[in-house]
Amino acid sequence: MKLTINGITHQVEAEPDTPLLWVLRDELGMTGTKYGCGIAQCGACSVMVDDIVTRACVTPIESLENRRITTIEGIENDPVGKRVVAAWVKHQVPQCGYCQSGQVMAATALLKETPHPGDDEIAAAMVNLCRCGTYNAISAAIHDLAGDERTGQ
Amino acid sequence: MRKLLSVLLPVIVLAAAGVTWFATRVPSSPFDGVAGSQAPSPELIQRGEYIARLADCVGCHGSPDQPPFTGGLEMATPVGSIFATNITPDKETGIGNYSLADFDRAVRHDVARDGHHLYPAMPYPSYAKLSDDDVRALYAYFMHGVKPARHANKASDIPWPLSIRWPLAFWSALFMDHGSHHEQPSENAVWNRGAYLVQGPGHCGACHTPRGLAFNERALDDSNPLFLSGALLDGWYAPSLRGDPNRGLGRWSEDELHQFLKTGRNRHAVVFGSMTDAFNNSTQFMTDEDLRAIAHYLKSLPGDPRRDGPAWHYDPKSNDTLALNARLKTPGAQTFLAKCSFCHGADGRGQGQWFPPLAGAASLMARENASSINVTLNGSKRVVADGIPDAYRMPPFREQLSDRQIADVLSFARSSWGNNGEPVKPEEVKHLRESTDPANSSVIILHMR
Repeated sequence: MKLTINGITHQVEAEPDTPLLWVLRDELGMTGTKYGCGIAQCGACSVMVDDIVTRACVTPIESLENRRITTIEGIENDPVGKRVVAAWVKHQVPQCGYCQSGQVMAATALLKETPHPGDDEIAAAMVNLCRCGTYNAISAAIHDLAGDERTGQ
Repeated sequence: MRKLLSVLLPVIVLAAAGVTWFATRVPSSPFDGVAGSQAPSPELIQRGEYIARLADCVGCHGSPDQPPFTGGLEMATPVGSIFATNITPDKETGIGNYSLADFDRAVRHDVARDGHHLYPAMPYPSYAKLSDDDVRALYAYFMHGVKPARHANKASDIPWPLSIRWPLAFWSALFMDHGSHHEQPSENAVWNRGAYLVQGPGHCGACHTPRGLAFNERALDDSNPLFLSGALLDGWYAPSLRGDPNRGLGRWSEDELHQFLKTGRNRHAVVFGSMTDAFNNSTQFMTDEDLRAIAHYLKSLPGDPRRDGPAWHYDPKSNDTLALNARLKTPGAQTFLAKCSFCHGADGRGQGQWFPPLAGAASLMARENASSINVTLNGSKRVVADGIPDAYRMPPFREQLSDRQIADVLSFARSSWGNNGEPVKPEEVKHLRESTDPANSSVIILHMR
């Protein structure tokens, strides 16, 4: 079947029930999306499907034909994603970095849904786990991005 | 007084003699006197293996670390535990000395070779309906297709005098329909085959039919509307298999039922709880013809609108409570989004046949909420279809979510997308958390099924 990832259409051979994560990492060699828990609880494998944050480890590719998949490899082609990555660098968010491609995905999806999220909205949307505990830095970066929009910079 | 005694005494003696005769008699078998010495044909053994799959013998008479059919599975009764027995043809510890008639008496008449009555943990009220041909094939398989394995039976821990077996003769007399399955001439062959499989070897009612005070199934066939109308057993609620649109199979087509029993999943549900074992060990091995017969038969059982209420329809309104700025205000909504929605869909509709929908799920609308609590606490077991473990399974949330959080998220799911289940109380979660905790000494042990 055909999958459109970061604007490029790939022909993939995997069975329809294969998780998107395995296709990304094993078949297409796009290893920026990480395997964490495998049961949709940690968020390390987050990607966007039609701009909605999605856990690649529990998404069978069957449902993804004609959908728009965005991974960390293509995030900077997206204007919001580009700003998120810049804020992540500015705030030096990552420590070990393993969860961060997922965190960037969650933040980008949040800002696409609502450009000026309040504290509650940030708390509601940013549920990815980080074992290094970079939550404060993530929060600071997103508040910065939300403020960015507000001041039109 | 003396006169009274002289009248009463013979009556008492006669009654006692009658009771003793009834409780200790060896029921007759159509195979009495049939010699079983000649080796059966490979076809008969193969046929018997298939019957053993239909009847899911290994589900109870097998345990993971032992050779097949050596028993050992612990099952609870109100007065103590009993253990499934060795049914390999080992002469000392198994059934190697059983004649065909002995075997028939154990399977269809609840009496073992030494004359003791079996506990109805063995679903003989259902197996009583097996045909003579199927019993003969099953015997051929167990004698010649199963390897004898030495494995001593474990004695029950039921204390004397409760451990006396002869009163079970009266249980059987009261709660069993004796005699093989009878065809309904008004129905077609497919329906009749389905009825035979469901009521007989498949023993679906052992879990799905409500039980009475004596732990008897309250109906053994479709003449009673309680048959397969849903029952609570071992901390799981086995839903109605009748035409109820909410808590039963009313919205399933025959093809979808067939797919569920063959592959363990369809767009309505994925097997979980005790049904995972029934699927892994039994239903997936049934022929397409038999599965279609089961589906056809089950779809002929009417639902009960008084029990089930108005039919479920998807209601998208509840998705408003999941909006980014609203979900922290509704108890359970944020937990649903963070823990459940990535698999079951933010709209509750699931992902095709791979992840079951929560919208319209029978277990979320059933009055008995045990299944939804249990699967949230403990997750689902691996579904192994055609030798391949599935890619997705429900994780346990026992360590992640509190009683309150589980109660809230289930109450949310039970009242969203048109679901009309009652709220879940934290105490109910607490109770099942304790009774299903493997570290607890009074953990739920399998009941009769």
